[in-house]
Amino acid sequence: MRAAGEVTAVKPEADVAWSGEDVSVGDVLEAVTNIRKKFAVAEAQDAELPHPRPCVMTLVAVAMTDAEERRAQRATRAIGNHHPAQIIVIRDQPRLRPGRIDAAITTDTLRSESACSVQCEMITLRVRGAVGEHLAALVDPLLPSGVPTYLWWLGTPPFGKQELTDALKICDALVVDSSRFDAPYRSFLELTHLASSSHQNLGVGDLQWWRLESWRETIAQFFSPIDRRPFLNGISEIGVDYAGDGRGNRVAAALLIGWMASTLGWKMQRAAAGGGGTVVVHFAAEGWRPVQVALRSVPKEHLAQGEISAIRFAGAAGGKTFQLTVLRDPDRARRPAPDIGAGGFQSLVPTGGEDEAGFEIAQRKAAWHRDVLHQNLDSLHHTATGDPPGESRPPHPAVFVRDRRHEENTRVLLTLIDIGGAETLRHVQHVEPEDEATLLLGLLSHGTHDPVFTRSLAAAAQLMNAI
Amino acid sequence: MPTIAPNPLAEGLHDYRVGEPCLMVIFGATGDLAGRKLLPALYNLAKQRLLPAGFAVVGAAIDDLTDESFRKHASEKITEFSRTQPIDQRVLDAFLSACFYVKVDFSKLDEFKKLQSRLGELDTSRHVAGNRMFYCATPPPTYETIVEQLKAAGMASGAGFHRIVVEKPFGSDLKSARELTSILQRVFHEDSVYRIDHYLGKETVQNIVAFRFANSIFEPVWNANLIDHVQITVAEEIGVELRGAYYDKAGAMRDIVQNHALQLLALVAMEPPLAFEANTMRDEKVKVLRAIRPITDEQVAHSTIRGQYTKGWVLGEQVAGYREEKNVAPGSLTETFAALRLYVDNWRWANVPFYIRAGKRMPKRVTEIRIQFKRPPHITFGRDATRELDPNAITLRIQPEEGISLKFGAKVPSAGLKIRSVTMDFQYMTAFLVETPEAYERLLLDCMIGDPTLFTRADEVEAAWKLIDPIEAAWRDGRPALAMYAAGTWGPTAATKLLEQDGREWHRP
Repeated sequence: MRAAGEVTAVKPEADVAWSGEDVSVGDVLEAVTNIRKKFAVAEAQDAELPHPRPCVMTLVAVAMTDAEERRAQRATRAIGNHHPAQIIVIRDQPRLRPGRIDAAITTDTLRSESACSVQCEMITLRVRGAVGEHLAALVDPLLPSGVPTYLWWLGTPPFGKQELTDALKICDALVVDSSRFDAPYRSFLELTHLASSSHQNLGVGDLQWWRLESWRETIAQFFSPIDRRPFLNGISEIGVDYAGDGRGNRVAAALLIGWMASTLGWKMQRAAAGGGGTVVVHFAAEGWRPVQVALRSVPKEHLAQGEISAIRFAGAAGGKTFQLTVLRDPDRARRPAPDIGAGGFQSLVPTGGEDEAGFEIAQRKAAWHRDVLHQNLDSLHHTATGDPPGESRPPHPAVFVRDRRHEENTRVLLTLIDIGGAETLRHVQHVEPEDEATLLLGLLSHGTHDPVFTRSLAAAAQLMNAI
Repeated sequence: MPTIAPNPLAEGLHDYRVGEPCLMVIFGATGDLAGRKLLPALYNLAKQRLLPAGFAVVGAAIDDLTDESFRKHASEKITEFSRTQPIDQRVLDAFLSACFYVKVDFSKLDEFKKLQSRLGELDTSRHVAGNRMFYCATPPPTYETIVEQLKAAGMASGAGFHRIVVEKPFGSDLKSARELTSILQRVFHEDSVYRIDHYLGKETVQNIVAFRFANSIFEPVWNANLIDHVQITVAEEIGVELRGAYYDKAGAMRDIVQNHALQLLALVAMEPPLAFEANTMRDEKVKVLRAIRPITDEQVAHSTIRGQYTKGWVLGEQVAGYREEKNVAPGSLTETFAALRLYVDNWRWANVPFYIRAGKRMPKRVTEIRIQFKRPPHITFGRDATRELDPNAITLRIQPEEGISLKFGAKVPSAGLKIRSVTMDFQYMTAFLVETPEAYERLLLDCMIGDPTLFTRADEVEAAWKLIDPIEAAWRDGRPALAMYAAGTWGPTAATKLLEQDGREWHRP
């Protein structure tokens, strides 16, 4: 199901590394061919016939910074350890002159106790100047026949530019992480435009959507029992809490609500900004039944900007009321923020259950000073750059991009279920670490043509446009 | 039964297979099966977030334990036997908090009523809507008592679903299998009876169906026009170990052939089902089992082989003969090896022999199905050029090296014209590089979801016994004679002759 197998990566016996400066793609192709031949001969040993060479995909990762290149290499190598693949990492350095290609090829040999060895090759191309604007010409000669090609753009793809359009022509799918976009609000809308207007054979995947998988699973689980199915038609209120300020940080929340709305056939009526950064969206469900959704920015020190920290459902059906609350890392949320002063508010505002309003108020008060600072920074940047609030990042930030997402670690989802006034049922689930490689592997394993994502994306874009 | 629309929110969720919340009562919760298989499988399901909110395990056994001491026991077993290591303590703690224990003497109705009362309390606090899953992790003779007590205590009816899971063997012959079915069906509807044959929960067994029916290139050749014969091998290198007492009564035929081997045959030979869905799948399997030509009393001697291992060498170690094993009668005539020649009398498989062999103390542990194709009708290249060319064959390897290989002819690179066999090999490990889940995880989950596709239905069990019973009867009369084979070999010489007389030979796995 979701566990990795016992495969041992070892140093290969054959000479399977190569590098060259100022080379052509033809040089790289020749080097790759030689490496494959050497590996086949070395592995065949006394056997007359070489082992078959499995390869399930080509993954092309485009990195614009040193940090992205390191991330690409780390994640793609981890993927190669689970799926025999050809990996091409392109470090695009358009501002450097003169235009040239430096290339390196490394290989990992994977040995299994019960199968023949597999060689996974990683080709790193550092391209300078205008060469990087012609990715298709750079990559196409290196692609093996008959396996899908995925283009993973680590930062913000150049939406609308010929460079991206050309690159997509040789790929089966584009993979991005909308939580890492430099200008998340604007870029997210551009992504939705690309997804809706591109050729139907082009898949589009978003790692941010995959991060929502555990939330979607937990919500779906609640409504799965037959006797609770009518609750789907009785939802009246939803609240989503997310970290960070500004509309650019509402992407994940909008995707989650877009998923609910598009799945259950809700039509958006209007959206309005409320107090304290809360946005209220009104939907009409079947029979014009109103559904009110509140998106709130709630500071959470341990979460990356835009990440969801809680979701609450309330409603009634069949004569029963219900409440579903899913909280992320409730124990960690109890910790006082370091810049507040340990325990100061806890002594003033006693807390009990994980979801008590008093505790939340205490947290919000505690974070107030920091919020003011953030808001001022936001408006200062807005004044300076003209970017809308929430897009408070320079176009090529060196530090903020790395900070936008923390290195993921294991999460806890606490589900609280109240039905008809009975005792609250608590259910704790531990979500495996969501490092980029795991997310990417999940996305690629299950395909990039996901109609649920596509329609959720469209609904989220409608919501984002309204707020 | 009214059709319930699927949960719309589950659409597009990957690996989302979650059942309704229920209380799983494990009878024999302190026993070997529960400790080695069930509790670790449930822990791994929890780890994969496949247990719904409210799900709880209620252990029921004769031992005098409390909730806490049962949790401690469960923790130790999970730690020792879980396939995923190291144990995630937070997942384990959360899982154990949903484990409870009630001491139950199966002969006492009062204790079942206490169990019912406890389930009622949990039902309310855990919002499980009366859903129950009763797992008999106990010896088959206890099934009747448990089922009757469940009925008497009013535990097998009411709101929600009530499912019962029983382990193989499902009887020891047709008569006892029917009795067991009758006992179960007196209390539970057949749709609520889940007969576990863990072999069917293996990924690679399920892949037989995927291989055949998800690919258009194999189905046109999957018939008597092009297939010469089929070989099914289920070999174990181990002896009877601690199962001597049971095995000496069962033998290879009842232990392996009646269930595992015939299930594999059914999956290989079945017609395409309308969908991978419980009744359509099982309908097709039953049709195959019913189409197998019965081996008459006169045919038993030359269509079946029974063997027993003597001392020998296995995996470089000297091992004892069967009759020297613990809890085995010194003069035992129980077979540890069985080989059969079967025919499936339908249009697709007319006159194609299916050879089955299953045995203990063979050179290695291997389960595989070999589809041997006919030779080309005309040898274009002459005998000299094709001397080293074998007929085409597809091998479906179930364990241990899961995969599929295709054997075909290719020209040897040289100036002359020589054709020889080469193998195109697909290995699961090199394509997916992921660990396959334990069969019990899949099957427990299926039971919670209410999907009996991979469980054996009563008519399948009966069809298999109808085929086996006449063979067993002849064997009891000493026909054919028990053939001895040295441990570490591929069975008695008679098994080799079974194919030789048809102009064929066993494939060496």
